Amino acid sequence: MHNPFLPYPVRIAMLRVETEDKNLRTFKFEFVNPGDEEKFAYMPGQFAELSVPGQGEIPIGIASSPTEKGSVMFTVNRVGQVSSYMHNMKEGDIMGLRGPLGHPYPLDTLEGKNIIIIAGGFAVTTLRSTIVWMLQPENRPKYGRITFVYGARTPGLLCFKDDWSEWQKRDDIDVHVTIDREAPGWSGKVGFVPAVTKEVCPPPENTAAIICGPPVMIKFTQPVLAEAGYSPDNIIMSLENRMKCGLGICGRCNVGPEYVCKDGPVFTLSQLNQLPREY
Amino acid sequence: MAEYIVKENALRAFFQALAQERRLLAPVRVGGKLQMAEARPEEVTLDYGNTHQSPKSAFFPQTERLMAFHKDTAQSDPFVYKPLGLDKITPTVLFGLRPCDAQGLAICDQVFQNDRFTDPYWKTKYESSIKIGLACDQPGPACFCTAVGGSPYGEAGLDALAAVKDAGLALKAITEAGAEFLKKLPGLESGAAESELAERRKAVESKMPGPLDQAKVAAGAILDIFNQPHWKDTADRCLNCGTCTFVCPTCHCFDIQDEQNDKGGVRMRNWDTCMSWLYTVHGTGHNPRPTKTERMRQRFLHKLKYIPLKQNGQSGCIGCGRCVTLCPVNIDIREVAKQMNG
Repeated sequence: MHNPFLPYPVRIAMLRVETEDKNLRTFKFEFVNPGDEEKFAYMPGQFAELSVPGQGEIPIGIASSPTEKGSVMFTVNRVGQVSSYMHNMKEGDIMGLRGPLGHPYPLDTLEGKNIIIIAGGFAVTTLRSTIVWMLQPENRPKYGRITFVYGARTPGLLCFKDDWSEWQKRDDIDVHVTIDREAPGWSGKVGFVPAVTKEVCPPPENTAAIICGPPVMIKFTQPVLAEAGYSPDNIIMSLENRMKCGLGICGRCNVGPEYVCKDGPVFTLSQLNQLPREY
Repeated sequence: MAEYIVKENALRAFFQALAQERRLLAPVRVGGKLQMAEARPEEVTLDYGNTHQSPKSAFFPQTERLMAFHKDTAQSDPFVYKPLGLDKITPTVLFGLRPCDAQGLAICDQVFQNDRFTDPYWKTKYESSIKIGLACDQPGPACFCTAVGGSPYGEAGLDALAAVKDAGLALKAITEAGAEFLKKLPGLESGAAESELAERRKAVESKMPGPLDQAKVAAGAILDIFNQPHWKDTADRCLNCGTCTFVCPTCHCFDIQDEQNDKGGVRMRNWDTCMSWLYTVHGTGHNPRPTKTERMRQRFLHKLKYIPLKQNGQSGCIGCGRCVTLCPVNIDIREVAKQMNG
């Protein structure tokens, strides 16, 4: 019988400091046992429990795309016991990975549509996964226009610079990276994510939006999309709640009758409009 | 299905046979309170209302070690968790489960074996056990199984059902597993039990409360019930002590914690309670259920709205009455259910 509580052993293959405040570190894990990588078959939008023996587990969105074989990537904010411990671990250390958990973004039902992807701060992780996946030569033709809006407070707090600066050179994705205030050496956009979204969002016909970011960004971006004519069915969001099991059993992450871990974390705004705002 | 009569003078032999076949869990007195616990045949009593705690700990212990790791780099797999307890499940028979509690365990089973995942720590214990119920002829003052779709002679979640008859037992099998188990039990004599059980069921049910009207709760929108004004009033009394969650047969929430020393460590799960602030607080400090009002509302919505939505209308409250009896401020789930339906 498969034991969904048992992590796959993984080795930290690469780690890097992601942001200037050093609060975010990116980890690439390689599976210790051959065969475990196939068992950990995931899609963009899913998450996993990162397990540190003796410390505990944390649920983190998967930042790599399943098309990037050989390792799985996560970006971890230093917040509590497990994440702080992880920030002191080294390449080569052994820990655990449990999942994949949750449902991915509905990439199949989005086929044929234009897509605007809106990210704020380090919530960009599963959206990086989505964009890398969509830009694969075998996947790109399935989608119409792709627009990417990404904001952070300062240039130094933007994640995955190598990725989005490459995407900026392509002509099959419109990339709008913005920071909150003018900063020395920054020649890109300046302004909050909702304002940039208002400026660049494509017309709502045959278009879906995927949003992931801090609550304040979501709060002010939703009305912009509503005003632009996006229906709640076409606004897709990813929720977070405190979690333990990730399997819809331990109870704490529910929003109404739905468990964020098992039934989410991806919901449409029309689904969320029927549920208590307990997230 | 097979029917049996166990005469008074054969009762001890019956319990001995149960204990010989499997580990026997039955209502026994532990520290002055009646509990579903490992029992010697001579200790088993038929004379009780219900056990103080629900029997859920037989399959979902209050503390359970899930896995362990070691730190010895000279051995193989240091810092790699290995599962605990799944390879040595003791075959168990539970005698004397009240039908309400058996229904409660069946509700938990739908959670531990849900549409996406199976919890092996639950499944191996729950499915390998034989569950023999003991029907209630004298339901307690706080009992209301009939108000929430159950019966003192209910059969859900049971492999066999017994009732006290002439200081002995009338017994019938319900599932194939139950029939198979009873068939092999030495010294058990066949005898007509079915019609007597059916007759008595009617008699006891007629003395019990009628169905609690939850039609409006079932038909209502989640947000409408969520936003009802009465929650604050009930929450003013609630202490958030969590007693209701610990004694409830369908409360199944748990926390997962790691413990370690120089040599290695374990990952364990412990019962948790949605009455606690820590239960939902985010790493950022944001808490989606910041006060006791939200936490208390969550529990009642879970029992009376969310579980019925997910389990074909089955109430998440099975009417055992433990929370009614043990709540230190006398919050009564029946009263809350009426307010929700109001």
